[in-house]
Amino acid sequence: MSGGVKRDRDGNARAKSARDDAPRGQFHDMFETFRDELDEHYDRRERIIKVSRDVTALSKKIIFSLQRVKNLHAEFPPNIQKEVDSRLAEISTLLNSIAADLTPLNRQRYSYSLRCLEELVEALSFAHYLRHQTLITPAETQAAVPADVQISPFDYMYGVFDLFGELMRFATVTTAQRGELVGNDEGRNILGDIHELGCAYEMLPEIPTKDYRQKITAMRQSVVKVEKLGYGLVVRGSERPKGWVPDMKDDAPDPSSP
Amino acid sequence: MSSQTLLNPEIFTSLNDRIEEETAVRETLTQIIQRLERAVATAQALLSRVHGTPRARYPALIEQVEAAIGEQREIIGELSKTASNHPYYKYNSKWSRTVQSAITTAIYTAWLGGFPLDTSPARLGRLASLEDIGKIYQVPTNLKDKDAFHITIEEYLLALTDFTSDLSRLAINSVTMGDFELPLVISTFIKDLFAGFQVLNLKNDILRKRADAVKYDVKRVEDVVYDLSLRGLVKRPTDADTEMKTGA
Repeated sequence: MSGGVKRDRDGNARAKSARDDAPRGQFHDMFETFRDELDEHYDRRERIIKVSRDVTALSKKIIFSLQRVKNLHAEFPPNIQKEVDSRLAEISTLLNSIAADLTPLNRQRYSYSLRCLEELVEALSFAHYLRHQTLITPAETQAAVPADVQISPFDYMYGVFDLFGELMRFATVTTAQRGELVGNDEGRNILGDIHELGCAYEMLPEIPTKDYRQKITAMRQSVVKVEKLGYGLVVRGSERPKGWVPDMKDDAPDPSSP
Repeated sequence: MSSQTLLNPEIFTSLNDRIEEETAVRETLTQIIQRLERAVATAQALLSRVHGTPRARYPALIEQVEAAIGEQREIIGELSKTASNHPYYKYNSKWSRTVQSAITTAIYTAWLGGFPLDTSPARLGRLASLEDIGKIYQVPTNLKDKDAFHITIEEYLLALTDFTSDLSRLAINSVTMGDFELPLVISTFIKDLFAGFQVLNLKNDILRKRADAVKYDVKRVEDVVYDLSLRGLVKRPTDADTEMKTGA
């Protein structure tokens, strides 16, 4: 192999380690190929991480909007619906911009960087619950994702895990406003729902990851908080004036409470 | 009570199935990987003999290691078959470390003069390329258009960084055995390899950390060459350098 001419580096920032006048080693070509391949991978991951961060933020904003909804089984107020729609449109643009990066091989490769999908599932499932008081199915979730990106069963499962927190907040706020747990005409209310969903999760085989343990702990806390709401209504319900909020500081003694 | 319930139980039956399926896959993979680990350990143990083996007796040693790597090949073949039934990157982290160690043993053996291939004849000081490694293990490398088992660039590069640290040890031990030329071969090789790593634009990850550590191996080998040169125990290293280059 002839030594000699060193090519220009293509403008990447690590100029200090460039040894532009060193002779080319015998493995130079091989490493150049690797560099190009790795750059491709790093760039792709970078794009995905950026999009993921933005989609997470937008999904959280959707959830904040939805927390301002006051009733189950009703159309969302126009202003809230508008906020949700415009954010879903933004999410759609963002996700579609990386759809090409997510070939079947790469979908799993970057699954950690794509955790925004859990957040999105959370938002979609919450919206679905508010409209129908039912749990969104994986198929409905996939249909509601405004882009050509596959939602895996685990994205769905972890996303719905986070729904518990939203249900808890929604239950707390609406109970304070109305003095009763929201529900349907047939007596199924949010406490029963969160119980049922919680039991469904408890029945699943445990997954031995830190992530799973954290989520299930958070889920149990949310369930307990809604149970306390129900209890507060029964015990003090007759005395309580409209607008009085059950004292959530009751949770303080629980050391694992965040 | 007429209407709908909160949830369709099928959702959770199906999630349950998915989790159980995944657990089963992980268990199968764990068993294969454990066997691979043992095969890798055998090859590593054999290779560690190189530190007490004079160069003339490398062929016998190579033969033994090649046999041990043949065992790895079979297990990796099995791993490949099982893993290819599932998304590659879903489980890749489970075997990546072990496969890396396996690659290191193959790179090492090829460097000592083992694994002659049509495209790259056996020679002391030869670097088995990623494609060579694929041929040795009979699995694809750096697959991009298909979701199946393969050896990745990262695994290969990480295996190289493991290899350089043992080479620096070999430089020292070859001197002890009276072989003053081998350190020069090692020196050229490891410097070129380090120069190769410098070409990469690494992110702040494990590969960056390990590639950065290669310079300490280079330094150790340089020290050996320095000691030898200082005492006039070798031809001038520059001559050896050019020899290696033309041989490449």
